[in-house]
Amino acid sequence: MSDTSLAPVRRAMPGHAACVSPPPGRWRLSTGRYSLLVERRALVVGLLLLAALVAASLAYLALGSERLALGGVVRALAGEGDPIALFLIHELRLPRLAAAWLTGAAFALAGCLMQTLARNRLATPGIIGIDNGATAFAVASVVGLGVSLAPPAMALAGGATAAAITFGLASGGDTRGYRFIVAGIGIGAVFGAVTQLLLARVDIDTANAAYPWTVGSLNARSGNAVAVLATGFAAGLPLALVLARSLTLMRFSDAVSRGLGVRLKRRRWQVLTLSVLITALAVAVAGPVGMVGLIGPEIARSLSSPRGVPLLASALAGALVMVLADLAGRLLLAPIELPVGLVTAVVGGPWLLWILIRPACRSAS
Amino acid sequence: MTSDEPSAALSACDLTLAYGRTPVIDGLELSLPRGQVTAIVGPNGCGKSTLLAGLARLHAPQAGAVLLDGRDIQRLPARELARRLALLPQEASAPEGLTVGDLVRFGRQPHQGWLRQWSADDQRAVEHALAAAGLEPLAERALDTLSGGQRQRAWIAMTIAQQTPLLLLDEPTSALDLGHQVEVFDLVRRLAAVGRTVVMVLHDLTSASRYADHLLALYEGRLVAAGPPREVVTEALVRRLYGIDCTLVRDPVSGAPLLADLRRAGTGHRETGRRHSRA
Repeated sequence: MSDTSLAPVRRAMPGHAACVSPPPGRWRLSTGRYSLLVERRALVVGLLLLAALVAASLAYLALGSERLALGGVVRALAGEGDPIALFLIHELRLPRLAAAWLTGAAFALAGCLMQTLARNRLATPGIIGIDNGATAFAVASVVGLGVSLAPPAMALAGGATAAAITFGLASGGDTRGYRFIVAGIGIGAVFGAVTQLLLARVDIDTANAAYPWTVGSLNARSGNAVAVLATGFAAGLPLALVLARSLTLMRFSDAVSRGLGVRLKRRRWQVLTLSVLITALAVAVAGPVGMVGLIGPEIARSLSSPRGVPLLASALAGALVMVLADLAGRLLLAPIELPVGLVTAVVGGPWLLWILIRPACRSAS
Repeated sequence: MTSDEPSAALSACDLTLAYGRTPVIDGLELSLPRGQVTAIVGPNGCGKSTLLAGLARLHAPQAGAVLLDGRDIQRLPARELARRLALLPQEASAPEGLTVGDLVRFGRQPHQGWLRQWSADDQRAVEHALAAAGLEPLAERALDTLSGGQRQRAWIAMTIAQQTPLLLLDEPTSALDLGHQVEVFDLVRRLAAVGRTVVMVLHDLTSASRYADHLLALYEGRLVAAGPPREVVTEALVRRLYGIDCTLVRDPVSGAPLLADLRRAGTGHRETGRRHSRA
């Protein structure tokens, strides 16, 4: 402990910048005054998840009621091969795969954002009622209550309404602690009941048409909603990455993050808005498959360094989970197709229990 | 007391801090001498932590202002404030799994940006902060494996790495045993010796008297004494703050005031040897 070490640090001479060594586990790329740090583990995890996602996607395209060989899938992707394979891939499986990628990545990214905001791994949009709010509003537009707005717009309104009520009940925007989660679970239950009420009022055919909405399915998606989600996600992901530095600090207690220069109030609103927006657009495509918002970030976090918030890894893991779950739903009881929301609930329910009863149950990091 | 004397690093001008409509700090005027250690003392609930939160802009004033080098801190951009004033709150919590080095590096955040993620200055500031806190051998250790004293030193090292002229510490020794307390206080003294201004909230008047150059005594949201401990700590002040009669003696080594023969005010007799009814 030398006293000179406490004196203010002198500015480095420009010529000395070359001898900067990066913090452990990271690469430093620099040119002149600019420098970037790359987390080695994040890069490896990202590539592994991407590889797994590509493999799962190929299986998704190959397997089903009509089986294709891997070579056939690749040829069909390149636009060659027999017309049946081309039709299967380009008209049926590829659009559905794209919807699975987008919704999985969206649910998981929104989950990771909300968990970080609330500093609680249980606080995903699915659990605090935002999925159900979005679903109730979207079902209202589907079963025709004289509301003519498209499902994505209605889902946005519903998600925002549920979020507003939850945050209002949890006393003025305090997103920390169980009060917030309990309020959210209550709101979710109310909106779930609203959806059931809406379906009870209509004739059986309309109710059947709206059924996938209530459990979550990629079967009833509209191409329009997928396009809206794709646009929203393409805008939302970069915004989330811009917020990443603040998100990393938001995991500290409030006074610490504010002491380090985070404008906490403003950032919380931005993160909340982004999370609700992405969730609602995903719900408009697939219904409430909220479990992916819990499982995706959980996988990402267990693989990633605790130094940062694994936004990209969460999105990749979410897409992977969605692809595998929908594939399982298509194959397990073929020719009957299980809705993907059912598969993720069967897997996600025990997962949730495990998180709750695990002895060292600590808050999300 | 003028708030814009050149020697004041931080000053408060007619500062009122409130929770709802209840003022906790009421019309306070104070100035913190530059390059010195200031201790804020007072009984539980007197508003000392609220005052520190107000000085660090965690609590917006109902009235009045906090001035940093003569500028209202409410008008400073968040990151600029974080480059000039570092805060260690009482309930500091970090995400799981961080190492000591990770934590200290987070102190550089206000100096970094998207295109300036790790500079030579950052590296040097972190190395110096680890050395100052005597944590170099522990840099790669996980935070949750440290003792309480080591962990507190790691948090202080994070604020040192922030390289701010001003450091605010909220009860930095509250959960520490005597040995670890002395470690932390020694570190604080060495920070002041190289020109940093340190403000600590303390509930132990004796430690405050020994380690601070300047004492601010708060009672029910008002300043009842301000100045060097040797001048302002009196038997009357102790009675006013804590409702305790005592005999003031001088530390034979440092000359700092020491409290001896404590008894509840008004009882008139010593309670030494008797069981205190309000333990």
